[in-house]
Amino acid sequence: MVRLDLTNIHLNYPLLARSASGMKAEGDVESSRIVYDKNGRPRAVRALSGIDLSVGTGERVALVGHNGSGKTTLLHVLAGLLPPDTGTVSIEGQVTSLININLGIQAQATGHANITLRGLAAGFSRKQIAEKRDAIANFSELGPFLDLPVETYSAGMRMRLSFAIATTFTPEILILDEWLSTGDASFRQKAADRMRTFSQAASIIVLASHSLPLIEQVCSRVVWLDSGRVRMDGDVAAVLDAYQEAMAEA
Amino acid sequence: MTISVLSGMKGVWSDILRGAALSEVWVAFANDEIQNRYRRSAVGLLWIAISYLLWVFGLALFFGGFSDLEGRAFTAYVAFGFAIFSFLLSNIVDGCSVFVVNSGWVRSASLPYSIYVFKSVARSLFPFAIQIACAFITMPFFGWRLDLSALMALPALVIAVVTAVPLQYLLGLICARLRDIGHFVQAISRLLLFSSPILWVYDEALGLRRLVATINPMTSFIEIFRNPLLGKATPLEHYAIAVSSCAAVWALCLLVGSSMRRKLPFWV
Repeated sequence: MVRLDLTNIHLNYPLLARSASGMKAEGDVESSRIVYDKNGRPRAVRALSGIDLSVGTGERVALVGHNGSGKTTLLHVLAGLLPPDTGTVSIEGQVTSLININLGIQAQATGHANITLRGLAAGFSRKQIAEKRDAIANFSELGPFLDLPVETYSAGMRMRLSFAIATTFTPEILILDEWLSTGDASFRQKAADRMRTFSQAASIIVLASHSLPLIEQVCSRVVWLDSGRVRMDGDVAAVLDAYQEAMAEA
Repeated sequence: MTISVLSGMKGVWSDILRGAALSEVWVAFANDEIQNRYRRSAVGLLWIAISYLLWVFGLALFFGGFSDLEGRAFTAYVAFGFAIFSFLLSNIVDGCSVFVVNSGWVRSASLPYSIYVFKSVARSLFPFAIQIACAFITMPFFGWRLDLSALMALPALVIAVVTAVPLQYLLGLICARLRDIGHFVQAISRLLLFSSPILWVYDEALGLRRLVATINPMTSFIEIFRNPLLGKATPLEHYAIAVSSCAAVWALCLLVGSSMRRKLPFWV
């Protein structure tokens, strides 16, 4: 059984020693999400306020919302990477998260060395990694570049490598941020195809994206986040219609 | 697998146990870092041996007069003392940045945080092993002989490693939150070389120097490792101090970790 359950999640993202601008906007809607201390210095951002979310086996969920609506923070919580201030997180299943492609990579090591490190970190044996190596190389189409340090790669090439590693080891729960769009058109299509077939392996995908075509192609459910709250949660067509309408008005 | 919100000391302890079990991961990481450090260098790892031997012979030459020990015996004294001192010091200094330098992994991989600690301790053992091997090869030319009593250096090394794990964990957490502590440790790390009995002999020291060395727990860790290698008996009090320092560091690590560990991804 693969499941994700969040109950009443509140998370204030602490701001450590980021200096005061002294220009606190009065009455601004957004500023109500910034927590100030008594000297008027920003102390934290209310990233998530009372999120309830349950995702079951085989669901492919898209997160949509403005920049700063809490999508990435919610992905971190779902991946078990950030602890919420209150509420409970229950993750049943093995999680792989691709939230920031520049993190979780040893830039000075080769592509092949990174396949090994990431495979080990995901709990696979060296033998299992050796068996998957060709499949990762083929899917990423990086060929001889896998023998070069990752720091020599372009952003799109890094993304190909990270995505190929993460999906070839077929995690039970895959959590992705919107950087997939750095790939070229043919790779985006390839990635979308792979994610669609993923659900047959009884897994969960949670994907934050601004690309409505990608969401329509891959996902079965959409959660719309607004100022750290769930504004709407339902099937793809209904939520995307309401979301686009709200975007057009803004 | 259910990840419920583990907190408190149990959380720290389970983090350390889960990390220890993933030895294949941290050994691979440590390997990668060692290779990376000497990448594009012509002699590579040989630099560890060269720099160690230069330093030991330089010290023996310039500071031989500091001790009543005969010159050749002083060289062995410096060689073994400096190796264990460097190991201890690197665990203090690296411990301060152990989570900060791995912030990318801390924020993106759901691995136990102790993985980065084990990786760092494993990495610090590597130059130490090379240095001890260099000492074993070169010191016989200075009249030093390896005998059975040297085996007692092994439990001393075990105590040092068992202390290094909670020490790095503790310093890593504190320095991730309070960056000044890291700078402070950097500032006093140079002084530790002079306040520990490396260039001078503890048994001969008097007055302030003796007092400082007695307060400094590194003295005991050095003595219990070096004395057996030099064929000397070690007073029991040094073992007592080392073992109780180890216990104290563990207690502090669990205590501080219980309240700070969960906040780590926000701080790195």
